[in-house]
Parts: sequence; C-alpha cells; structure tokens
Amino acid sequence: MGKANNTEKTVSKNALKRRKTLVAYSFILPNLIGFFVFTFVPIVCSLLLSFCEWDSGNPIKFVGLENFIYMFSRDGSFWISLKNTLYYTIVTVPVTMALSLFLAILMNKPLKGRVFFRSVLFFPYVASLVAIAVVWMALFNPDRGPINGLLMAIGISNPPRWAASTTWAMPTIIGLTVWKGMGYYMIVYLAALQGVSRDLYEAASLDGANKWQQFMNITWPCVTPTTFYILVLLMVSTFKSYDTMYITTQGGPGEATKVLAYHIYNSAFVSSKFGYASALAMILLLIIVAVTLVQFKFEKRFTSYL
Amino acid sequence: MKKRRLAAGFMAAAMVIGTLAGCGGGSSSGGSSSGDSTTAAPAETTTAAPVQAEVKEATGEDVTLKVALWDYSNTEYYKTMINAFQEKYPNITVEVVEFTADEYDNVVVTQLSGKQDFDVVFTKGTPALSALIKQGHIYALDDLLAADPDFDPEKYSGLVDQLSLDGHTYALPFRYDNNLIFYNKDLFDAAGVPYPEDGMTMAEYHELASKMTSGEGNDKVYGTHVHTWPSNVYQYPNRTEKFVFCDPTTYESLIPYYNEIIAMQDEGVVQDYGALKSSNIHYSGVFYNQQVAMLQIGTWYINMLCENVKDFNWGVCAMPNDDGMANENSIGGVTPVSIGAYAKHPAEAWQFISYVCGEESAKVLASCGIVPGYSSEAVGEIFDGLHDTYPNAPEGLSKYLSCEKNVMEQPMHAQNKEIDTIMQEQHSAIMTKSVSVEEGVQQLIDRVNEILE
Repeated sequence: MGKANNTEKTVSKNALKRRKTLVAYSFILPNLIGFFVFTFVPIVCSLLLSFCEWDSGNPIKFVGLENFIYMFSRDGSFWISLKNTLYYTIVTVPVTMALSLFLAILMNKPLKGRVFFRSVLFFPYVASLVAIAVVWMALFNPDRGPINGLLMAIGISNPPRWAASTTWAMPTIIGLTVWKGMGYYMIVYLAALQGVSRDLYEAASLDGANKWQQFMNITWPCVTPTTFYILVLLMVSTFKSYDTMYITTQGGPGEATKVLAYHIYNSAFVSSKFGYASALAMILLLIIVAVTLVQFKFEKRFTSYL
Repeated sequence: MKKRRLAAGFMAAAMVIGTLAGCGGGSSSGGSSSGDSTTAAPAETTTAAPVQAEVKEATGEDVTLKVALWDYSNTEYYKTMINAFQEKYPNITVEVVEFTADEYDNVVVTQLSGKQDFDVVFTKGTPALSALIKQGHIYALDDLLAADPDFDPEKYSGLVDQLSLDGHTYALPFRYDNNLIFYNKDLFDAAGVPYPEDGMTMAEYHELASKMTSGEGNDKVYGTHVHTWPSNVYQYPNRTEKFVFCDPTTYESLIPYYNEIIAMQDEGVVQDYGALKSSNIHYSGVFYNQQVAMLQIGTWYINMLCENVKDFNWGVCAMPNDDGMANENSIGGVTPVSIGAYAKHPAEAWQFISYVCGEESAKVLASCGIVPGYSSEAVGEIFDGLHDTYPNAPEGLSKYLSCEKNVMEQPMHAQNKEIDTIMQEQHSAIMTKSVSVEEGVQQLIDRVNEILE
C-alpha cells in the first residue's frame, strides 16, 4: 500500500480513510506478528505433519490418512483418552461454574471479613500449580492423608483410595482443577453481579418474590453474558489441559487420567511420533472448534435477557 | 471493500510464506541429517546404513567441546573427571550444557532435532539411546573403535556389544548400575534376625521382610521397600533371564513376582504403591531415615549412601528369585555416551568419550562409589576399600559388581521407549489393584504386541 499523502490540501476522503486503516493495522501488527510466528505457522505445520510420519531426525514421509486410520481403528489409548477428556470436561465445567457463581453471590453480600475470604478463595488461582498439586495430593493421600483420616474418624472404614484408584483418580483431579480455578471465575462473576442494578431486587421484593425467584428471574439472566464467557474459556482450558495430570498421576493408574492432550504429549515427546501426535492434536483442535462454534451459535438465544 | 480484499490477499500471502518458511526448513533439515554420507541407502530408516563418525586425527588445535549432561551442577565426580580430562588435553575446553534430569531424554531429542551441535551426548539409558539412533541423531562409532589401537572392548565385560543396534556400535558405557538388595545391618542386629543372603527365594524374602516389620504409625519400620518403577518388579525375573524387556512372550514370568509383591503390600510389609506415588516418596529418604530394613535399588545408591549415611551400617546382597540363582548374573542398565550427529569436533569428542569411559576416569568414579562401565581389578579394589574411607559401607563390594554375566535390563531396541511407557501404565494399574495381576499382564502383552507389529 502506498504512502499516505501528507499535503493537506489534496487529502481526499479516501486517503484519509486509508491512513486511518493503516494506523489501525499498525496497532494490531505486533500482536499479529506474534500470532503468525508462534501460533498460526505452527498450527499449519502441525496440520501438514498430521498426514506425515516424522520422528524428528529422519526425513518427513507423507503417509496420507494412515495416522488417522491408526488412531480410530487400532490405538486403544486414543479412545480411552478421548473418553477421559470428555469426562474431565463435562464434570469440571459445570461444577466450577456453579461453585464460582455460588461463592460470588456469597461474597457479594455485606459479609464480615469478605475481603479476607475473597483473598482466600482467590489464592489457589494465584499459587503455582505444582505447589497446589503437591498439597492436594498430600491431603488425599490414601493412607496418611487428613481427608481419609477424617472419613475414617466419622466411621467410613473403607474410604476411597483417591489418586491410587482408577475409579477415584479422575474425581480427585477434577476436584483439584475446580479448587484451583473457582477463585478466578468467582471474581469474574462478582464483577458481573455488581453490575446488576439494586433496583431490580427492590422491585422484586416489593412484588413478593423470594430469594430463589429473585435468583432465577434477576441474577441468572443478568449474568448470562458472563456465564457464556466463562463457559467458553473453561471448555477450551479443560479440553487442552494436561499439566495437572502430568504433575499428579502421570496419566495413571493405568490410563485412568490420561487425557487427549497428555496422549499428544506422550506421542510427540516420549515416543517421538510427531506426525501421529499432530494428527491427535488436529482431532483435539476440531473438537474444540466444534464445541466453541456450537456455543457461539447459541450465544444469541442464551444471552438475550432484556 | 476493495481494500479489505487486498488486505485479505496480503494476509493469505503472508500465511503461505510463513508456512513455507516454517515447514520447508523442517523437512530439508530432516532430509540432510540421515542421508549425507550414505548415498545409496533409501529413506527407509531402520535399514539404512548409519552415519559413521569420521576417523580423523585430532588436530591439537584449540577447540571447545559441547557436552550434553544432566545433574552436572549437583554432582562432584563430573567436575573431577572433566578437570582431569582438560589437564590431559589442554587444547580442549569442555562446555557443559546441562538439562534437568527428569526431562533429560525428551529435551535432548528436541534439541537434536533442531540440529544442536552437541559433540558429546550422554543418555540416561538404552531406551533413549535407541530412539536417538533410530532418528539419526547419533553417529555410529564402528570406524573409530576399529581405528583406535588403545581401545579394548574386552575391558567392558560385554557391555559394548550390548550397546549396539543392528550390528553397529553407537555408544560406550560410562556407568553400569546393577540392582541389589541393600539392607540396614543395625536394624537386623537389633531384631536378632540374620542378614539377607544371596539366592533367597521370593517366599523367603517375603518372610524375612515380615519379620523385620515392626511398630505402628509414624514409628513403623517396613520390612522392605518397593520403589514405584516397573523395573522394581520386572528386574527379579529379568536377572534370571526369564523376562526379556522387548519380548512379550516372556511377560507371563512377571505374574508370580507381582503376586508376591502385592501380597507384601496387602500385609503392610512394604509401603503401598499408591501412597508412595501420591506423596512422591523417594526411596533414598526412607532408607536413610531407617524406616525400612531392606531396599531393592541400583548400585548408584552406593555413592549416595557413602555420602549421606553416618549413623548405621549397611550391607548388600543379590536379588531374590525363584530360579535358584545366587550371584551369577547381575541385572542393570548402562549410562551410554555417544557422539552427536551434528558434532563439530568428532575427533576430539572421541578423545573425550574414550577418556571418560577409560581406566583413569573409572578410578575417579569408583572412588566416589560409582560403578564405571570400565572394569578392572583396580576398580574392584577401590570398591573393596570403600569401607576404609566410609566405615558404614560393607567390605567386599566388588563381588556384586563383577558378576559372571551382566544382563541388560532394557536391551537395545528401536521401540524401547514406547514399551517403557506402556510398562509404566500397566505397572501402575496392577500395583494399585485396578486390575488383577493376570489381567494387567495380559493387557501389557496385548499392548506391546500392538506396537511391535
């Protein structure tokens, strides 16, 4: 694109517009360059690699759809990790949202010491995942942990073995994820709640609406845009998360907590099957894109509250 | 409107260029790494002749060797060894590139696929080495071995042969660590129980461990300790060669050993696998703190015990088994050292490798309680004399370090690393009793067969 003409008298409407556009582009350019180099190019490479076989050393070999055929027909770990990912997401997302909304409503009340409680609830989000995970695993240690100590004290003779059992390992990790994330989403909800006009509640109570009716008819509709925002964020982050499993259970016991992202990590960096890992990553990307598109499609209907 | 289309076109062009630049570079780098000296070999990697490190006289000019290592900053013997090397070859400067121990294998693969010019590459074991060879990141050493008159493969008790893949040698053994039962003599004396001996059966070992278990709660002393690696179970049948790491037809030999160990776990004779995993409990601490009477672990622990244990005496014996074996075989793993395929100074790298795997460096290692790959009488004598420097160490250690046969716990095999991953997953399923032993082993067989196809 040519330089904008700077002799004022000849500045046409068009040139001015062009100049403004250029200025606008120049503002997003730094971010755009970063996005291209560190996100877009790798994604395209990964897409191409997903049709190839590559072990990082030998020449890249084009194999067509072989990676995908192997994935769907013979890789048992793929189906297990897909199932685990869905389990993890479907439980984590609503539980986190419900808890953070509940806490936000509590914290929105003129409670004594609520600044303190807010900080306490926000703390796990700020703390390092590694530290949090170690604490969580110590709490849930099957033999020496305080949680099981408590359960035994109240008369449960055979408490769950948490991370050491295939049934309870995933709930243990979900608990950790919810605990760590809810503080942040609570703050987001809190901001939304403070935007809800007091007048609405006053009017409703004059009309004789009880607390539950007030929640259903005022609070919930007013925070739906926030709920939608949190839903998208949470979905994406749970789908691609594997760090928690990596630190706590390494996908075990057996393959009980192996999620798709963990399977990708293992295939790429442990087994050096970069082509196959890219194919897995493409499937994960497809799932995330599909889920997000569906969410956006329903956004209008979901958030039209006035 | 027009402008927007123009902008879109510009972006699309940028994307395409970006793509070509990004991926094109990747593929061409892949192409050149395996093919430069082997002209006729097709790209089918496993059958292609490997790239040999060039036999060249070291020039004596000033060079800097890049050496990839882990644990450099927290171990003394690397420094001692490298200083001694630099004194012998004053023209060579060693630049150590250190990576974290936990992720070392994976990081080195990533580094080498970016064509990092490491001259010397240490690997943590044969699975990682096999993978690097398969990917063409490591030079074959056959020509160098043949050309060096000072090199004597006999000195490595068969380990050099075991480090070869498809008939080519890719590494020298820097260390060889076999596995033993370590025991706390003071605890046995206090309980009036005789020390464990070579050639115990698993049932005898179990019984001994039961006798040595005492106390409750925080004061509980466990009879023995089973660390959380799969090798802490498979090494028992592996030592008697009933189990072979990359041969699923041998995996059924694991069943009785798993049964015995799980029975010990159920009786509270050893700590529970799940609890150990949840709390990240390291085997070293429980033995130092006298919370366990016995421990099955590798000979690298000798060095750790020498440095950390001053308040009780310890001893070692051969691992129990059900095949009537005393101390004939040892079972363990090698720390291999190789030359990186993008090395700038392969000749000097060979000088380094043959030095650190040679006699002089072996003595340095041995005097720290570390078992070198190089074996000689002098090394054995140093180990027998450890008791003089470290009074808590037992006498006559050399007996356990030079066995008739050294069995490699993970023989060189292109798919070692993948087998290892499956082994760990199945091991955790069996040890947490998520599946029965028979079921878990059958799944292990099926899954390994699947990737070996």
